[in-house]
Amino acid sequence: MMGWFLSVLHCEFLRSGPVDTALLVGGSAAVVCAVIGVFTVLRGHAFAGHALGDVSSAGGSASFLAGISPLAGFLGIAALAALALEFLGVRKVREQDVATGIVLGAGLGLSALFLYFDITTTSTTGAAVTVMFGSMFALSSSIKWPAIIVACLALVAMGLLYRPLILSVVDPELASTRGISNHWIGVVHLLMLAMAVALAALSVGSVLASALLIGPAAASIRLSRRPTVAILGAVIIGLLAVWGGVWMAYESYYWFSGNSWPVSFFVVAIIFIIYLLTIPLKYLTGRKTPVPVAVQHATGAS
Amino acid sequence: MSQVKIPPKRGRSILRWFCGLNILGLVTAASLAAAGTVHAKVRTVGVENEYANVIAQIGGKYVMVSSIESNPNTDPHVFEASPSVAEEVARASLIVRNGLGYDTWVKRILAAAPKSGRQIIDVQTLLALPDNTPNPHLWYKPTTMPKVAMAIAEALNKLEPGHKRYFLMRVRRFDASLKPWYAAIAKFKKKFHGTPVAVTEPVGDYMLEATGCDIRTPWHLQAAIMNGTDPSPQDVSIQNHLLRHRKVKVFVYNQQVTDPLTASFLHLAQRAHVPVVGVYETMPTGYTYQRWMVAEVRALRLAVTRGISTTVLK
Repeated sequence: MMGWFLSVLHCEFLRSGPVDTALLVGGSAAVVCAVIGVFTVLRGHAFAGHALGDVSSAGGSASFLAGISPLAGFLGIAALAALALEFLGVRKVREQDVATGIVLGAGLGLSALFLYFDITTTSTTGAAVTVMFGSMFALSSSIKWPAIIVACLALVAMGLLYRPLILSVVDPELASTRGISNHWIGVVHLLMLAMAVALAALSVGSVLASALLIGPAAASIRLSRRPTVAILGAVIIGLLAVWGGVWMAYESYYWFSGNSWPVSFFVVAIIFIIYLLTIPLKYLTGRKTPVPVAVQHATGAS
Repeated sequence: MSQVKIPPKRGRSILRWFCGLNILGLVTAASLAAAGTVHAKVRTVGVENEYANVIAQIGGKYVMVSSIESNPNTDPHVFEASPSVAEEVARASLIVRNGLGYDTWVKRILAAAPKSGRQIIDVQTLLALPDNTPNPHLWYKPTTMPKVAMAIAEALNKLEPGHKRYFLMRVRRFDASLKPWYAAIAKFKKKFHGTPVAVTEPVGDYMLEATGCDIRTPWHLQAAIMNGTDPSPQDVSIQNHLLRHRKVKVFVYNQQVTDPLTASFLHLAQRAHVPVVGVYETMPTGYTYQRWMVAEVRALRLAVTRGISTTVLK
């Protein structure tokens, strides 16, 4: 009986249009965030990643006004903010936090203005909640392909720049002696970060975007410091969180008699729980994993 | 199947943008200018412009009416008062508000600026509705306005004693003017009882219930759209199914509470040739309350009988 019941739910779950869109868009966000998130964490740019997410809310809220796709809005502003961060001097760690904080504040201030215009001039009721905390089931199905294209672009860029990126993370001095410009790597990395953040903001909202960007990567890095393994682990954790969250939000309709809980809550909750689980796991497995000397050096320096 | 043109919702011109910022719309009774007396008029505020319109119809030459929520481009559910609006409300001697969480900000302004003799008509209290009444759009309920009109007459009588007969005469005239609306509802109900309809959010639900329509959209979806919260995918699927497979005869679309989701429903309805009827939170310009309501029933009827969409009331 129970099995039959579950199989019926399962079929309906996968046949549902809004679920389909959420799984695809959320899934691409999870994969891109995982890959780029690992570098973000290793480079010590977690706060910059979070700030880009917050700032992208200005783009999301402006998209309602301009009548453009929210993805374009998030992406445009996140990319602008990434360039601003680099311009204001994100390289020195001490200046980095200040520059990031300034850009974050300015961006959120703009969001406040745009959200005000959304509500007062275009009668877009749920704009604030949608932009800040996401509404994966309210995504238009026409956004599927643009999201997948952005994800593919980010992954291709990552594939092309993988080696120099690794090197600049692991040993910036060695990288520069090999003729790799740390400055340009930084810019490109921030732009890829903007793509990841835009996809995450579209899925779980701009405020929660950093959870998807940092969470799976940080959890995975706790378990393995080898970049390839860490990236693979982060992809698995990210997909588990997003798809699991979508499934739980779908099921919560039956738990709370039609009042389903927000999907973003479930996604972020799963990420947090997985991160907590990595703490004991690290003690069980972590010590046996040999840590590459270069990575030790890089993390020791950051 | 003919279609009334749907105005583009997005990509507004800069001009329209700035017009939208002008939240405080002044509604002056037509009789006001004509009267031209030296008599000081009673300052009144109808927080929602449909109530302001009824105040003007009852108070006639003795009142000066302003309305706060009259901008068709905004969602009154999320209205925030500006200092000028607060002053307007605080100076009024008679205030009519909807209640039910629709205009809670008014309560704070009134509490902050006490005024002796001020008359406040809270329509929720007038109708004795509990706070947990799910649908706040009371003006779409056929029984609401006659009670509001009578309460306005009583309040004005306290503020302007000596004109009781004038106000009561105007209440009778107002009640009589609602007859065509009631007749249209009764006629629709008799002929098309049980017509399946889909809606975006509950603004027109009271009227749809009065006309005997069967609202197929899940309540939770309507509430999520009204409150701007996460919809559940199951409800979205049900709504998509209703529209895509033409399980409903009419799609009733709230022009003032929109988001990408309602836009996608509108798109589906248009593709499936489900006629769309536009409904509003606030009274569209160029209407009286009665004419507005009659126009909504007529639009519903045109949609059911001839498949005509009326997204903008003409």
